[in-house]
Amino acid sequence: MKVTYNWLKELTGVNASPEEIAKKLTSAGMEVEEIVYQNEHLHDVVVGKILKIEKHPQADRLVVCQVDIGKEIVQIITAATNVFEGAIVPVSLPGADLVNGIKIQKAKMRGVESCGMFCSGEELGIDENYFAGAGVNGILILPSDMKIGQPIEDALMLNDVVFDVGITPNRADCMSVIGIAREVCALYGVKLKKLNLSYDIDVYAKDTVRDYINVKVETENCYRYMASAITDVKIEKSPLWMRARLNAIGIKPINTLVDITNYVLVEIGQPLHAFDQKLIGNNQIIVRQAQKGEVIDALNHNTYSLDENVMVIADDKKPMVIAGVIGGIDSCINPDTKTCVLEAAVFDLKSIRVTSRKLGVRTDSSARYEKGVNVANAEIGMARALHLVSLLKCGKVARGIIDIASRKNESRKIVGSIDKINEILGVEIPKQDMVRILNSLGIETALLGNKLNCIVPPFREDIENDNDLAEEIIRLYGYDVYDKINYKLFENSKITEGCHHPRLLLERKFRNALVEHGFYENISYTLVSPDLVQKLNLKDERVNLVKIANPISEDISCLRSSIAHSLLLNLNYNLSVGNKDLKLFECGKIFISQKVENSDLPLEKDMIGMVVLSNNFDFFNLKGIVENLLNKTSVNYRIERSKEPYLHPGISADIMVSDFKIGSFGKIHPVVAQNYDLPENVYYAELDSGYLANLPEKKYNVQNISKFPIVERDLAVVVDEQVKVGDMLDVIKSACGKLYYEASLFDIYRNENLGNNKKSLAFNIKLSDMNKTLTDEEVAQVIKKVLKAFTYKFGAVLR
Amino acid sequence: MIKEELIQLNEKFENEIKGAQDAKQLNEIKVKIFGKMGALTILSKSMRDVSAEERPTIGALINHVRNNLEEKISQKEDAFKQEELMKKLDNEKVDITEPSKGFEVGALHPISRVIDKLTDICVEMGFSVVEGPEVETDYYNFEAMNIPKNHPSRDMQDTFFITENTLLRSQTSAVQAREMEKRKPPFKIVCPGKTYRNESDSTHSPIFHQLEGLVVDEKISMADLKAMLTTLMKRLYGDDTTIRFRPSFFPFTEPSIEVDVSCPNCHGKGCSTCKGTGMLELLGAGIVNPKVLEMSGIDSKKYSGFAFGFGLDRVAMILNGITNIRNFYKNDVRFLKQMR
Repeated sequence: MKVTYNWLKELTGVNASPEEIAKKLTSAGMEVEEIVYQNEHLHDVVVGKILKIEKHPQADRLVVCQVDIGKEIVQIITAATNVFEGAIVPVSLPGADLVNGIKIQKAKMRGVESCGMFCSGEELGIDENYFAGAGVNGILILPSDMKIGQPIEDALMLNDVVFDVGITPNRADCMSVIGIAREVCALYGVKLKKLNLSYDIDVYAKDTVRDYINVKVETENCYRYMASAITDVKIEKSPLWMRARLNAIGIKPINTLVDITNYVLVEIGQPLHAFDQKLIGNNQIIVRQAQKGEVIDALNHNTYSLDENVMVIADDKKPMVIAGVIGGIDSCINPDTKTCVLEAAVFDLKSIRVTSRKLGVRTDSSARYEKGVNVANAEIGMARALHLVSLLKCGKVARGIIDIASRKNESRKIVGSIDKINEILGVEIPKQDMVRILNSLGIETALLGNKLNCIVPPFREDIENDNDLAEEIIRLYGYDVYDKINYKLFENSKITEGCHHPRLLLERKFRNALVEHGFYENISYTLVSPDLVQKLNLKDERVNLVKIANPISEDISCLRSSIAHSLLLNLNYNLSVGNKDLKLFECGKIFISQKVENSDLPLEKDMIGMVVLSNNFDFFNLKGIVENLLNKTSVNYRIERSKEPYLHPGISADIMVSDFKIGSFGKIHPVVAQNYDLPENVYYAELDSGYLANLPEKKYNVQNISKFPIVERDLAVVVDEQVKVGDMLDVIKSACGKLYYEASLFDIYRNENLGNNKKSLAFNIKLSDMNKTLTDEEVAQVIKKVLKAFTYKFGAVLR
Repeated sequence: MIKEELIQLNEKFENEIKGAQDAKQLNEIKVKIFGKMGALTILSKSMRDVSAEERPTIGALINHVRNNLEEKISQKEDAFKQEELMKKLDNEKVDITEPSKGFEVGALHPISRVIDKLTDICVEMGFSVVEGPEVETDYYNFEAMNIPKNHPSRDMQDTFFITENTLLRSQTSAVQAREMEKRKPPFKIVCPGKTYRNESDSTHSPIFHQLEGLVVDEKISMADLKAMLTTLMKRLYGDDTTIRFRPSFFPFTEPSIEVDVSCPNCHGKGCSTCKGTGMLELLGAGIVNPKVLEMSGIDSKKYSGFAFGFGLDRVAMILNGITNIRNFYKNDVRFLKQMR
């Protein structure tokens, strides 16, 4: 919201500097985001009169002018062709620093001295709408009655300071100069100046407003509709002071009536609309919802198709205005307008918001309506507009104002509790200060014991309870009271037991373990391109992506259904920038679009994924890491050949708990590696950390250990390639029976000499007895038993 | 006579032992004393010629000399062993500046380190860490937070929608109502997690992280909020950290505040991190709007609460001197390596 310093000064009478006012507003929650000084580039520019023009002795295109700038006569050389003797012009003198970057110095032009420059409108930062002549291609010729020597910023009223104030959504009332002026008054403890709302009525005319217009309101989205008629309209340029205000806050001045509607919109926060009365069919205004198929040509030169959700101001045949949003071109004020109908209405904020969003039209008017204009505002806005009509003498106000209101907005009484307010704030604010602050904000407050009897004005619809009062009080009392207090942590509260989230705790174990294994943690966009389905060759429920309805772009339009996609992309990125020997992991969610019981939400699963591209790393290194992680939980799992479509079918495994897959690991399928532009030796693993975190904590059941030493034997056998090491280890365990302590594979050897499709496996077997030292004979017997079982079950031959 | 010989012998061999150059020489000396033909052996044999009354004295003297020389030899032997060991250790010396082997660690992501740190501090203060879904209903993300449909406060956040009623949560505040429905006061919760906004430029990422905190109890005040946030920020940025409140607006808190934290980089003096102001805008907070409590079934006459929320990406940036938010999500190992 832009307001000007002079405008605020006019409404408040506060003379403090712009900087001080800005600082105070900010400290009270009206953040002044920018201060712009209109005259920043207008110093050393004055009004001058060209006394004499002579040809430049050395140049055909230049002329030498003698210019009266008030206190002296200076010589200026110009190439401009629209200057003449007697012309009043803006003169920039040495030291001037114009808005287009030109800095003025004394200079010799072809041997003749020039002490400045004449300015065009553009060089002063203004256009034809603001000041006649400012748009011409040449020097701005000023009116002949301007005072010679006067600084141009004063002559053209470009001497205001503009504040851009950030208005929070709860303060719709501050979407106006008067709203911000109220805050300034509260901050300085002064009273708002009374707005002049008086106007002359054309008492001699026999016609009243009803002779010009009838109004019907047929929709409940219109809370109030006021209309007045202005006859003998004069459509011309507004006075400079009004243009200056509008120009300062970035609104283009157009003509008297349009400027008045804009002026009131900004000053009072009440949007107005002006119709040409003769263009309203059958003198009938109907406020209604549009019918499907109706169209309107709007003032922005676009045509909009309307439907039942859009409220319109129509005549007896067609929509004339999209209510609260934008006017139509067919009924608007034009140079031939003789009689004008002026509307001041209040609409439902949601209705305006929906229409504005749907049609993609945002105007100063819709911006106010969708934040909420209060019903009482319409009559102030109407009166202020009619006052300006009288002041500018741009028409005669017909007797009577039509006013159809379905809602009232009156002052409300609320009772505040001083104890509760102090309890909320946690600091003691003196009662008298509370009363003073609320009154200064226009909330009439009387102290009654420990209660505050408040009358809340209509424009503060946001004030309802003690919390609201507490906020008003503390923001004006000053939050710096909290800088001084030293309160103990939860001094008056009950002790609560702190507790980590079980999954985050498990993930923290995983993350720390992986970091020790040399992995780098990644956090990727969960938003991905839908092409992950094809790239990962997904076939199961993971093809059902959760899609964003309003994505920024296709490549981040879906939620990922696999962490593998993110990590393979990250791997590719790291390779592309020259990083090598990569181990990455990520903890995060995957999303699957499927119906979850009792919920509108898709399935979210917490996963941990890891990817490796490194020399000397194979499936069994990966298996070791996966086992290490699983070992931190109490999970009881088995592994099976994996069915993951993106893993190599022969070098991958699924981790199963009964029929439920809780993870998988293996080499990336060569086709998938290619899809991600990666070499073939990429390994990937993932675990369902959500599932694992829900398991009971791991318990340890410690067995008694034997007093007697362990005996070790190595056993090497040759078997067919198809024989599984896991099965052989199981056989060792059962063959050793009670004496089994541990067994492991310590070597695999393949050689032509062993025969085709053969491998030699070397096992280390550890035996132990609780009650005695084992004799060589007992050990030999057990090993013999193992070998026998090997031969019988796997056709193994001793090496 | 024999007595003098013994004394001479003792002295002579003490000197010899002292002068021995190595273990071999020492061994030769040992033989010269105690061997079959050794000097002391021979002298011992001459005990036979000593008179009976002199015998005990001489005998004691011989024993004394034997013990003395044996001890001297033993001492010398130990010295030689020690010397040899020193030589061996010296030979085994390595260049300790050679790089380490076989143990290259990775690193945690800066954002998850911040989450770990903050949740640890909060748990110590009695908070429970909770989570909510990233795809959220319009109800929990907005309506239960006092942001009705088509309300102007919806403009504060550009939201990604999935359907008309489901969306990617735009704030971790979405967990507040979920937890209030589940729990009975008093309780304290924090929720870290990903949040989503439909905006993307050099300083905004469409995905970022927030931490939301909520305390509900009897008589919770702005002063409690001040004390709690001061503790949290001191633990995060150091003991000399101070905080400051400024008025603000959030639909779900009333009063609402922005919290500025003294710049941990310059300690309030003003630097490039804090753009010369000495303070950093870090959190939004306030007293929970009684409407929000009521909507979730908590009696706002009896209970009050405070809530706070902040962007973890920014915290991680300030804590680690990171200047570009985009680096968090590129996962370039050259970036991550610096967090080892």
